[in-house]
Amino acid sequence: MTDLRPSDDEFEPYEEDRGIPLPVSWIAIALALWGIVMLYHNNRSVMIGRSERSEAAKPQSRDVGAGGAGIFLARCATCHQPNGSGVAGAVPPLASSPFLKAKPEVVVQILLHGIDGPIRVGDDVFDGHMPSFASVLSDDDLAQVANHVRKGWGASQTISAAFVAGQRARFPDRGAWNGGSEIAATLDPTLPPQPAPRPDAGTGIDPAVAGLVQHGSGDAWACASCHGSQGQGRANVPRLAGLPAAYISAQLAAFASGSRRDDTMTVVARALSQNQRETVGNYYAGLRTPSTARPSLDGDLERGEILALQGDWKHGVPACFSCHGPSGFGVAPGFPALAAQHPAYTADQLAAWRGKVHRASPNDVMNMVANSLSDSDRRAVADFLATLPPVPAAHRQEPVHGRSVAR
Amino acid sequence: MEPTIGLLLALSFLVSLLALTFLIWAVSSRQMAFNQAQARTIFVAGEEGHADNPGISPNADDDTHHFDPARAGIDAISARPVTILLTTAVLWLVVGSIFGLTASLKLHWPDWLGDEAWLTFGRVRTIHLNIVIYGWSSLGLLGVVFWVAPRMFHTRLRHPHLAEVGALIWNLALLAAVFALATGWTDGEEWLEIPWQIDMLLAVASACFVLPLLRTAAARNVHHIYVTGWYWMAAICWFPVLFVIANLPGLFVGAQQATVNWWFAHNVLGLWLTPLGVGAGYYFIPKIIGKPIYSYSLSLLGFWALALFYSQVGIHHLIGGPVPTWVVTLSIVHSVMMFVPVITVAINQHVTVAQNMWAFKQSIALRFVSLGAICYTLASFQGSIEALRSINTVVHFTQYTVGHAHLGAYTFLSFTLFGAVYHMMPRITGCSWPWPRLIPVHFWLVVIGFTVYFVALSIGGIYQGLAMLDATRPFADSVILLKPYLESRSVGGALMTLGHFVFAAHFAAILLQRRPAAVSSAPMTQPVVAA
Repeated sequence: MTDLRPSDDEFEPYEEDRGIPLPVSWIAIALALWGIVMLYHNNRSVMIGRSERSEAAKPQSRDVGAGGAGIFLARCATCHQPNGSGVAGAVPPLASSPFLKAKPEVVVQILLHGIDGPIRVGDDVFDGHMPSFASVLSDDDLAQVANHVRKGWGASQTISAAFVAGQRARFPDRGAWNGGSEIAATLDPTLPPQPAPRPDAGTGIDPAVAGLVQHGSGDAWACASCHGSQGQGRANVPRLAGLPAAYISAQLAAFASGSRRDDTMTVVARALSQNQRETVGNYYAGLRTPSTARPSLDGDLERGEILALQGDWKHGVPACFSCHGPSGFGVAPGFPALAAQHPAYTADQLAAWRGKVHRASPNDVMNMVANSLSDSDRRAVADFLATLPPVPAAHRQEPVHGRSVAR
Repeated sequence: MEPTIGLLLALSFLVSLLALTFLIWAVSSRQMAFNQAQARTIFVAGEEGHADNPGISPNADDDTHHFDPARAGIDAISARPVTILLTTAVLWLVVGSIFGLTASLKLHWPDWLGDEAWLTFGRVRTIHLNIVIYGWSSLGLLGVVFWVAPRMFHTRLRHPHLAEVGALIWNLALLAAVFALATGWTDGEEWLEIPWQIDMLLAVASACFVLPLLRTAAARNVHHIYVTGWYWMAAICWFPVLFVIANLPGLFVGAQQATVNWWFAHNVLGLWLTPLGVGAGYYFIPKIIGKPIYSYSLSLLGFWALALFYSQVGIHHLIGGPVPTWVVTLSIVHSVMMFVPVITVAINQHVTVAQNMWAFKQSIALRFVSLGAICYTLASFQGSIEALRSINTVVHFTQYTVGHAHLGAYTFLSFTLFGAVYHMMPRITGCSWPWPRLIPVHFWLVVIGFTVYFVALSIGGIYQGLAMLDATRPFADSVILLKPYLESRSVGGALMTLGHFVFAAHFAAILLQRRPAAVSSAPMTQPVVAA
């Protein structure tokens, strides 16, 4: 530092050997220590993350392991009531139901395929709408819940998971049972007399609608190219099967007018006439498709269940089901089904409500609800809704023929 | 099994740091006696102590522009390969800038030139990247290497024809690569887009440069190898190895392929272009100022720390990706450890300039090189910080990263090269720059252009990242908000491109002009005129 401008002919600037300046050494040592801690800590954070995940996984399996009572409370008691009394005029009672006392395959088949038709329990006739649990419960879970209801209110014979598996394989492709009479005729003739089944409403699908859905026309791309050949959806493309017809056509109108934002759907919806929107809505409303949704957002399922069933009034969140119907099956025409919806879509939509991208909600209800939900709440409730069975399944309609559309 | 991975990593990291410390201690303590001589190896007797101002006032100082006869013979031999390398580099710079500006405009004029497949964004951007990296930066810095190395080693360039053959193959391969990319024939990985069949040609070309440099170093007439020599010899040996391993077809698949992809993509910068550029800075800064570098112990630490840390840096591009967490963490730690070599280079280079600001004001070549060195410091600090998970979460996949890439690849490498070319060309051709006033025009065009470019992308990128992270905002918001920043980037890019046109025209003029009678007496320029 002393003499940095030597004379031209005598250039001897560095007599002293200039070592590494002390601050540089200190910085290097500090960075090295940080690096060692980081590398060691990385391992710890991986371990902590792993143990958290395994702990989070435990209560679920324990809950299921706790047996049929737990599954019953989570899955059945919303409609059938915790004491199995049902709801007069709406939901058949389980207590002393002849269907529980009948052959074991009766209860298993009802759980597997659901009911969509009139059914007599005791002296009352109900317009039965029970979802299929085939896609959301395992053979073991189904056996446990069947044993729980039968032991509580019917027979004592034990049903095994293997038996459920056998029953599952018996009618692999069928839709819901068309009321009590079909169950009696097919499974157990000893059941008390049942009302006549509803005439089969599943008339053929209009080829024009099928063409629109499967192949599209002009700017209206094939719905199936994103929403799947059965309207099952995937990831953040919503499941359409079983949504109310009026809801679907209202959404198409909202996309066309721009009051609901989505670049793809705006193009498609603008290419559809009002009439086409309605026929597409009807088509999907009548489509019965097993659930393909599974929890995928690492959401807390217990928290999601509380939000869906009871809400969180501390934060001003009403129960989802108070508007969207028991079990999240939706209430036509305004409230879409939530059950079996893909969690990425549900969470995305809740985020969009919060961001005021959507403004179509009556009285801004959904904006207010979504504002009160944190990111983890959105994931929790979306994941929980994905575990629910889809809207009650009717007879499978004639499969829509057409080449599977590449996605 | 789990605890051992973290422990093993931390321990092996510690051991390698201790080994590095020992290495530097051993080398520096053994060489203490030479320190004085080392610092002076780049000067011919009598040359030190003078500001070396390239060609702007050619007759100002006898010593700076007239070479020792022994050295004149040296320059005459290297002039031909160097002229080939630099001329093709400047041509690629012009073409690459046009492609870069086109890609930038397309981001806010999406329908412009959209009818031809080869003019779509995906191809134009890819062509821009490969031209500026392999055409402009690589060829230009190789030109600097083959000009400076013989002077540094006080001996003529060995195998000059091999270097010429290498330059020829390299240019042909790059031309083929540009056509391949334009037609859509690509390997499909960023930084490794060139089809591997053409890569093999590039690998052969890069191997042609190894022997001339190493043989010249082996035949040197100085005892000590100056720090620039370490960087250059290391880089010229690293590149063929990196390039061949990363381009071996069919060897890596899936997540492994992505890992090798980014290992290469950062190493082509860190172990090829960066050492070439840092080496050039280490040579030209003291050369032009006429004062030696601040500390040789720092040079040692800087070089070996770069060699140790840089090779693992690339995997920070895969934060959140499907590779083992420890691989990513190791890469982040190494990225941050890059502070060490960068600080050492910064002290060595900036202190020398800061103590001689008169030279910075006087010499525009020094201004380019020194600004390049400052941007190396800034880009490296920025890169280390960007590798941290918390920062990466916001700026990854945004235009911020593009701004950072240009701070490194443009201001550091290109500014260094501009300065080097302004310094070298009068000595290669024996002519002074014909229009000295164009040099500041070029300087201010690229400096202002880049400032607009960098500021716009850095601010826009952060807003873009925050918008993308916010789940309550639709994705389109993150695109729409960028528009003014992308337009500013095009303005900055247009200024830079204009500056390159000025530079290229000036370069062509000095290359083609008839030598003024006053200078033609110097015999060493004859072969250049023939070329």
